[in-house]
Amino acid sequence: MLVLLAIVVSSVAGGLAYFLPAAQLAIESTGQVIDLPTPSPTQLLVSPTPGSPSPSAVTGAFTVLLLGSDDDSKFNPDHVLTQSMILVRVVPSKQQVTMLSIPRDLYVHFSTGGYGKIDGAYSYGGPGAAMATVAQDFGVHIDDYIWVGLLGLVKLIDAIGGIDVVTSHPVLDDYYPADIVSTWAYDYQRVAVLAGPQHLDGIHAMQYVRSRHGDLQSDFGRSQRQQQVLMAIRQKAKLLSPEDLPALSAAIGKEMKTSISIPEVAALLPLAASFDNPDQIRQIVLLPPYTHGGGPGGSVTANWGLILPLVHQYFP
Amino acid sequence: MIPPLPRILLGAFLSVVMLVGATGTYIFLGTKASHVAAPPKKPTVSTPRAQAFTLPGTLYVAQDGAIYSLRVGRFHQITPEAGWMMPALTRDGNLVAVRQFHMYSDIYLLSPYGKVIRRITNNAAPQRNPDPGANHWSFYPRISADGKTLWMAYDKPKAGYDVVMSIWAMPLTGTIQQGKLWTNAADYTGGDVQPLPVRGGLIYTKYDYGPNDRLVGRLWFTNRAYSAGRALTTTSEDCRSPAVSPSGTQIAMICTYEKQISYLVIASWNGTTLGPRKQIITNQMVAQPTWAPDDSGIAYLAPAVSAGAFQLWFLPKAAYAPPVPPTPSPGAEPLPTPSPPAAVKPIQVTTDNGFDATSPMAWDS
Repeated sequence: MLVLLAIVVSSVAGGLAYFLPAAQLAIESTGQVIDLPTPSPTQLLVSPTPGSPSPSAVTGAFTVLLLGSDDDSKFNPDHVLTQSMILVRVVPSKQQVTMLSIPRDLYVHFSTGGYGKIDGAYSYGGPGAAMATVAQDFGVHIDDYIWVGLLGLVKLIDAIGGIDVVTSHPVLDDYYPADIVSTWAYDYQRVAVLAGPQHLDGIHAMQYVRSRHGDLQSDFGRSQRQQQVLMAIRQKAKLLSPEDLPALSAAIGKEMKTSISIPEVAALLPLAASFDNPDQIRQIVLLPPYTHGGGPGGSVTANWGLILPLVHQYFP
Repeated sequence: MIPPLPRILLGAFLSVVMLVGATGTYIFLGTKASHVAAPPKKPTVSTPRAQAFTLPGTLYVAQDGAIYSLRVGRFHQITPEAGWMMPALTRDGNLVAVRQFHMYSDIYLLSPYGKVIRRITNNAAPQRNPDPGANHWSFYPRISADGKTLWMAYDKPKAGYDVVMSIWAMPLTGTIQQGKLWTNAADYTGGDVQPLPVRGGLIYTKYDYGPNDRLVGRLWFTNRAYSAGRALTTTSEDCRSPAVSPSGTQIAMICTYEKQISYLVIASWNGTTLGPRKQIITNQMVAQPTWAPDDSGIAYLAPAVSAGAFQLWFLPKAAYAPPVPPTPSPGAEPLPTPSPPAAVKPIQVTTDNGFDATSPMAWDS
């Protein structure tokens, strides 16, 4: 009896030791409280607002705001810009996913007050401000957010052994930020991500989604590539097992934060694996005529008359 | 009440049981991990799978910055892991290949065993020039049928942020100063790549914006320097990586139809136009089709499992060009109706490598 008890206790201890690092990091990184900034007077004119209790359980539709930031030494860690903002709506009952990329330079009214490029919302008030700004300007309800730092994406992709992508064209950039590889945060490097089907590691996947100098569509082209890489990560994630979590969490470290709780993450994992039909995944980039250049300070101006009906159609 | 000595022994025994139990559980859980991040093996470590089909001739392929030759079922590493890729054959049995550095790449002439004979291009910026844009890329070298001309994709001219590759030709024994610009790449597209000298001209891949403003690849044919040439494929086909059959009558290519898929497609080639397309691989993320020099099939790279590293595959000719049944001679007994031939499937040559799917392969007889 004592031997049996010893085996059970030691097995549990071994399991705890195995999953402890992942659990520790998961507790620190998930279930983040969304700190909603005080709304500005004009926000009161717009509905709906985020932060209300989520109406959607995992079995129902839900909307997540994906945020990606340069968080290298150029920036104060608490005031980073979000170079990538993708609104994702998942409808589990129809196995349907819609991804809408928000141009980083879109000129909007911040939830914290004032106007500027939407990538600044996070820097003024963290993820809560980013969510509130998107919610008020696009008129959507957002259930949760996931924030990934620059190195987080690189480490995540390396931790899952790279991704397979059909890169649409050669991405050549003579002035790509060398902030990851150089000791000087403002240094440049040349990158050449060649075209066609290939296996990308974290650094090259980052170069593919981050470069925007060699694309006539600039940030819009980059948004399309970001959605491509997200799909490839999802494809690779289907091969993972729960036993991979410690290695993954050790690799990503604190480069990822989310308001989704651990139980919700656990419930979402099998759901992600069930989405197999590429035709059920809709990708939207707000190209002209939805937006046009020439806004204040080099920003992009929204054509809300076209954007809002589109958003209401796919993010009801 | 247990006496003191047996109690100590029991305690020691239980401690050992617990240590073994905890360690065993930890190790067991580790073995259950997917190991998706395990690095691919070097080709020289993991030889092709047992009873693998032995490819004819010598195939050159790149992995992790090194070029390997595959001959009689064995890989040999012919260059160090130092940015080497894109081998192509010269007429006298040597190789030209790209060596990519941090800021530039150059084309080298190599012996079949990987010994550097000569650096052909000189793309590094002068040391005193700190501008990254003063460096250049050269990729996709190919040698003309007469062995005298080196074709390549070269990022010149470029202006400001717009870096595009164009097709250039230069004497194999000359310098880049003797090079000649052949194509007019579209701005902000990545440009023109993958030159393929064919009888009467040049096929290459041009990247440009399609009607829906998406960047797509198209095969083009030109026979005159800096002429517009003629598109061989449509924007909706989104094709790249042309390879010509040994007879010069068929072109293999990779088409994606603007999706995250890649099909291996072949079409007849009469020197001016491509014939009807035939999709011969549609269920893999296929790259770099390369015709066997004896016309026995097509080698290509593709993952063995979804989202995996790229392995070497071979598609026998019977899969895409079934043998024609013999025609009975006049007056002879009618032939029995043949049973439908079994479907010929691709042969997976390697299992745990990670070949560079952006690097064309070279196949010598």
